[in-house]
Amino acid sequence: MINVILIVDDSPISRKMLKSCIPKDREYVFHEAGDGLAGLELYKKKQPDVTFMDLTMPVMDGATALGEIIKYDKHALVIVLTADVQVKSITRVVELGAFLVVKKPPTKESIQEALLKAEEKIG
Amino acid sequence: MDNITLISDEEKDILQEIMNIAFGQAAADLAEVINIFVVLSVPDIKILKAVDLPEYIREEFNELSHISIVEQNFWGEFKGNALLIFPAGAGKELISLLGDGGELTFEPQSSDILESETLMEVGNILIGACVGKIAELLKDVVTYSPPRVIIENHPNASMPKSLFNSSDSAILLKTVFCFNERDVNGFLFLITNEDSVIWLKKALDDFMEQYE
Repeated sequence: MINVILIVDDSPISRKMLKSCIPKDREYVFHEAGDGLAGLELYKKKQPDVTFMDLTMPVMDGATALGEIIKYDKHALVIVLTADVQVKSITRVVELGAFLVVKKPPTKESIQEALLKAEEKIG
Repeated sequence: MDNITLISDEEKDILQEIMNIAFGQAAADLAEVINIFVVLSVPDIKILKAVDLPEYIREEFNELSHISIVEQNFWGEFKGNALLIFPAGAGKELISLLGDGGELTFEPQSSDILESETLMEVGNILIGACVGKIAELLKDVVTYSPPRVIIENHPNASMPKSLFNSSDSAILLKTVFCFNERDVNGFLFLITNEDSVIWLKKALDDFMEQYE
């Protein structure tokens, strides 16, 4: 069951957009980080059930943060939410261990579907 | 209207995110045409007086003695100029990429013309996809002028004068990108003036309504 969600995105608006797409019928605990490095540190501290990760970010990009998170926790469920829809980018993050890749802008449907898949994975 | 109140910080953030989505789409579209990977950067939004644009661009490119520029105008509710700026010589690098695919053949012509046509083609794809995606997200439809290229001129000499003869403020959306395989950096500027601002503010508000 998903309880704790980590959102890593440098854009406060993008984090707001994502949160508004997450169903309100459950009381999730949210943690937010504005770059990949802060996201990695927060991941280690909070051990979220699911992490939404942007790719294009300052300080540490999302692909690097994803790789570090998977190194730290090979079972981490990281959903990459990105505007970078180049095939090479998607292939790279899948190889790094992304659970899913969701294209920006987020929609209620795309986010709910992603959470449902994560829920099934957790079992 | 002054520089500070043209658009709010929140509107700037929304525009930045929309630009980010739009340029991601543009990069993916370009990758379908040529075998290239575009390293994207966080877009930057600035509000400037139009008359200050030449100085701004001169400062941005002060390390480059010569640059190439592709310009395309767009009209809709969202209207303005798109400028795609490369260091001089980038066109030659991109020609070799177009050639790598083996599917595109060129008529024998001078390398200057090839370079110019390559820049126009790359500019047309990037600007079209980027502006088109912004328009789509903001529920607008835009039309474009054909791309026009100016090669190896100093920025202040090569900027279209029509951009700068107004006292209007300009919203400048800048994205830096890098064609990974060739280590070529490019800069995309979208410049829209006060005529579009009232519509733009409303469109940004409408866009965010779905996320309230």
